[in-house]
Amino acid sequence: MTVHNLYLFDRNGVCLHYSEWHRKKQAGIPKEEEFKLMYGMLFSIRSFVSKMSPLDMKDGFLSFQTSRYKLHYYETPTGIKVVMNTDLGVGPIRDVLHHIYSALYVELVVKNPLCPLGQTVQSELFRSRLDSYVRSLSFFSARAG
Amino acid sequence: MRARSAWAGVRRLGWCMADKVLFEFLHTEMVAELWAPHPDPGPGGQKRSLSILESIGFRVGQALGERLPQETLGFREELDVLKFLCKDLWVAVFHKQMDSLRTNHQGTYVLQDNSFPLLVPMASGLQYVEEAPKFLAFTCGLLCGTLSTLGFQSLVTTSVTSLPACKFQVVIRKP
Repeated sequence: MTVHNLYLFDRNGVCLHYSEWHRKKQAGIPKEEEFKLMYGMLFSIRSFVSKMSPLDMKDGFLSFQTSRYKLHYYETPTGIKVVMNTDLGVGPIRDVLHHIYSALYVELVVKNPLCPLGQTVQSELFRSRLDSYVRSLSFFSARAG
Repeated sequence: MRARSAWAGVRRLGWCMADKVLFEFLHTEMVAELWAPHPDPGPGGQKRSLSILESIGFRVGQALGERLPQETLGFREELDVLKFLCKDLWVAVFHKQMDSLRTNHQGTYVLQDNSFPLLVPMASGLQYVEEAPKFLAFTCGLLCGTLSTLGFQSLVTTSVTSLPACKFQVVIRKP
């Protein structure tokens, strides 16, 4: 079981952070385009899911999976979106994504006077804490499964 | 009955967590506001901003110096006053005690905080070291102002080598 990569977007579609742990295949397009593609897809799928839902919506879009990987999604009321790609054995990780938002993003970026909001995060502390947190997760293994 | 206890629960949790953050955000905005009108960061403009922050801290410290001390007979010696700064003042403002206090017993004291709350969210190491002094200016003034109300004229300076640790050097001026 493993974590492939993680994206963090703000409400305007700016990619605040991207980290990669096990990614065997790249998208074949420049990173900027990849971020726009990811954000655009999330935006569309969210509105699709709520429109086509046969029941009243509670949490909205949570995840999708293919035959090789699973994409997990978490959005805060302020529009911050945390997206994590893992392999298929991983169950719902809403609390993990929420922890990334509240204990890492809010504590180390929002509270950091030198990190302007709405731009890519430059803080080394944020990058290293996020990295150690993901590596400490029970479903992360150092060898890609 | 149930409404009253629910409110007490909210107060206990929400109040404890919120008040720390209010001061941190306010302090961040104070520094940002003073630095904003200086697009050309010449040394003259920076010094003026630093001294404004220090004087704001000084006045807050003067008031806290009156408000905080619980015992009237407390302060016999200079060292007691410094211990008050390290324990009571630091706990009241930053919710922790100073990590170490050293002195040469001739009026110079070095107060060291290994994880100063205003620097903790910024970095753990060398990133942002040059920016750190402006986030310490208010606190220098705070120490100076509290000492002044308690009867001591002083000069307070800071140094940062690696975030989030910092040192405050206090030199008590002889009357």
